[in-house]
Amino acid sequence: MLDLAPHLLAGLEISTLPQQLVTGLLIGTIYALVALGYTMVYGVLKLINFAHGEVFMLGAYAALLISWSLGYTPGNSLEHGSWMALILMLIGAMIVCALIGMIIERLAYRPMRNQARIASLITAIGVSLFLQYGGQIFLLNGTPQNIDPKVSPFYSSDPTVGNIQLTIKGPNKELLAKADQMSSLVDKAKTDYEAELKLEGGDEFNLQPKGKELRDLYRKEQRDLESAKNDANKGAILVNLPKGQVFMLGSVLIIMVGLTWLVMFTRQGRAMRAVSLDFDSASLMGINVNAVVTFTFALGSSLAGAGAMMAATFQSGTKIDTFFGVLPGVKAFVAAVLGGIGNIPGAVLGGILMGLAENLVVWAGYGGYKDAIAFVILIAILLFKPGGLLGSAKVEKV
Amino acid sequence: MKFLATRVLSILAAIGFSFLVQKLAEGQDSFTQQLLVLASLYVTLSVSLNLINGITGQFSIGHAAFYQVGAYAAAYCGTAFYPNWHGSPVVWLLLMLVVGGIVAAIAGFIVGLPSLRLKGDYLAVVTMGFGEIVRIVVQNQKVLGESGGLSVHPHLQQIWVVVLLAILCIALCRNLQITAHGLPFLAVREDEVASAAMGVNVTKTKVIAFVLGSGFAGAAGAAYALQLGAINPDLFRMDQSFIILTMVVLGGTGSVTGSVLAALLLFYIPEKMRDLSDVRLSVLVSILISVGFAVAAVRYVINNVHKPIKVRAAYYAGITAVTAVVITILGKILQLVPAFQTSVEGGKLRLVVFAGVLIVLMLIRPEGIFAHHEFSWDWLLSPLKKKRTKLPGVSA
Repeated sequence: MLDLAPHLLAGLEISTLPQQLVTGLLIGTIYALVALGYTMVYGVLKLINFAHGEVFMLGAYAALLISWSLGYTPGNSLEHGSWMALILMLIGAMIVCALIGMIIERLAYRPMRNQARIASLITAIGVSLFLQYGGQIFLLNGTPQNIDPKVSPFYSSDPTVGNIQLTIKGPNKELLAKADQMSSLVDKAKTDYEAELKLEGGDEFNLQPKGKELRDLYRKEQRDLESAKNDANKGAILVNLPKGQVFMLGSVLIIMVGLTWLVMFTRQGRAMRAVSLDFDSASLMGINVNAVVTFTFALGSSLAGAGAMMAATFQSGTKIDTFFGVLPGVKAFVAAVLGGIGNIPGAVLGGILMGLAENLVVWAGYGGYKDAIAFVILIAILLFKPGGLLGSAKVEKV
Repeated sequence: MKFLATRVLSILAAIGFSFLVQKLAEGQDSFTQQLLVLASLYVTLSVSLNLINGITGQFSIGHAAFYQVGAYAAAYCGTAFYPNWHGSPVVWLLLMLVVGGIVAAIAGFIVGLPSLRLKGDYLAVVTMGFGEIVRIVVQNQKVLGESGGLSVHPHLQQIWVVVLLAILCIALCRNLQITAHGLPFLAVREDEVASAAMGVNVTKTKVIAFVLGSGFAGAAGAAYALQLGAINPDLFRMDQSFIILTMVVLGGTGSVTGSVLAALLLFYIPEKMRDLSDVRLSVLVSILISVGFAVAAVRYVINNVHKPIKVRAAYYAGITAVTAVVITILGKILQLVPAFQTSVEGGKLRLVVFAGVLIVLMLIRPEGIFAHHEFSWDWLLSPLKKKRTKLPGVSA
């Protein structure tokens, strides 16, 4: 009954694999950013912040509105992007998200801290639904919008300018040389034919036998050249890297290094680790637990904001609506669980693996199941290695 | 003998009640009939989810998946086998309820198995994931109509069947709660380790809860498919699960009457809101802010329970008054701001209401309206009666 079998191994095309892997890696960095927010909040509060995806969505809206206020409105868009606009959008989205995260924590999660964990989970679901459907009323009436890609200084409508092309395996040299030789033949045939055409009066549809012969020869040579070029390119593996996404990858790496420094080598980071280890003891040791929790929410949410701004700006054609955060949110959560929830390097690893897994599914020809793979991974990891890849092996006994 | 007589009488009463509802509904227009069917289906869904969430304490938020499995089972059987069916359509409907129930129960068995290893929020996430997997798989199957969905044969609406299904589900849960058969479920909810030590088969209990709960959801799904005439995967999105969850949580996890009342309430109010042609944004904002005030005030009162009842009553009266005043004043002020003059369709507010109910409820009464208790008239009658000692026995 299932339609799976006929597709099996049908669409596997090795030459597109590197491209898909690179795309997966780039998307994975966004999941990694969002997963960091999940993992930090879980580490400190043992709470799955279901509304994190909605913070992501609001970050995208913040970036959109900032880009509009800078003049990149749908009807009347500026021609050239600027670094300034990008940085303003990034910082703006991060600040807005940090504020929203703090507000959500203060109003919805802090009153629930002494209740059962399920109560916090239900509150989180409520907040998430509220932001999704309330947003439809308050945010641009829920009409999907996209950020003008021209806001990015890397953007160009010409793909050879806007992309970095990497050649992993070039075209077959011998065949290419052959094709080059053929192209001189084609040129010769073309000049012959054109000379004859001029001689016969320039009427292409009314040729003498000799003209026809030359024309057929020219066309045949042209066809041969095409097929020779195709043969030469068949084994070639090319990868297109949009420049904006390379910039995105770079900034994600910088953010991650900064975060690791913050958590491992600063006073605030030490307080966070202490709270994560033992909530009550940390407060006995004089740590202001509420301040640490607020800080964690602000930090995690601002990362989601950064991820949202990048996802909405550098992935061309992304429409922002109030459900923009649902799937990235769920996938990032899976990434956090995959890497071991509460573990910062784990979240990054999980995010990148998630991105890769998703694109491999598309590559294998099951595009329709792209969104299901996250849940399959989630169920598998929870059943077989609940601690995650890098997490502790300790099984939680509640 | 007396026991048998009560049984037979109550079964007859249930059937009689369903036919009475059917007779009463026949005079109404088709929209009211449809609302009646949907209300009964939601009662079935929320009571069956309560069996899993409330009575057994396994937090599941993927109930729409079982609903969907049942609906698609009925739709598929209808296209495949109904043309060769020679019996009456009503028998077919009953048959489909059974088929949908069984198929969904099998799905429930599959989901129940991981629940043996997972607890709390992780179980919740896995059930949600299962719901999405089911929807996405259905969306990609040619046999099941992909995202276009299936049309269902025969398309027939029998109110008494759905009402009877709801009654059956309620009766099952109620009997589980008051008989010894239900004790393992309650024990597992309260403490797994302790109940295992007392000889309860925890694994079996959890799986039975999942199978029963999802079976009823599947039967409800089959009835839904047949009365709607056409189904598609979008009818069974995550929102649907959250709506059912809100009903259970509002009524009180573990309270059957609570689930029934909450299902009816949360079904009726949003349906009424569809009729609201437009709501001013200014009114919405003021309601939002005043609800915030009210929640803060109620929480303040709850944190000061030791105060005398008169003081608390005065507080509650004050909260209500302040809320009303804030709504009116803020509404009037915001009416002066042109940006708040846009109007919002009432239909858009449906799920906002659900979300608001969830948040407010968790903030002021996380155990739900009835908590673990059942609705009864005792509190009304108690001043009239003399104080009596409670009978020893199983309390829910």
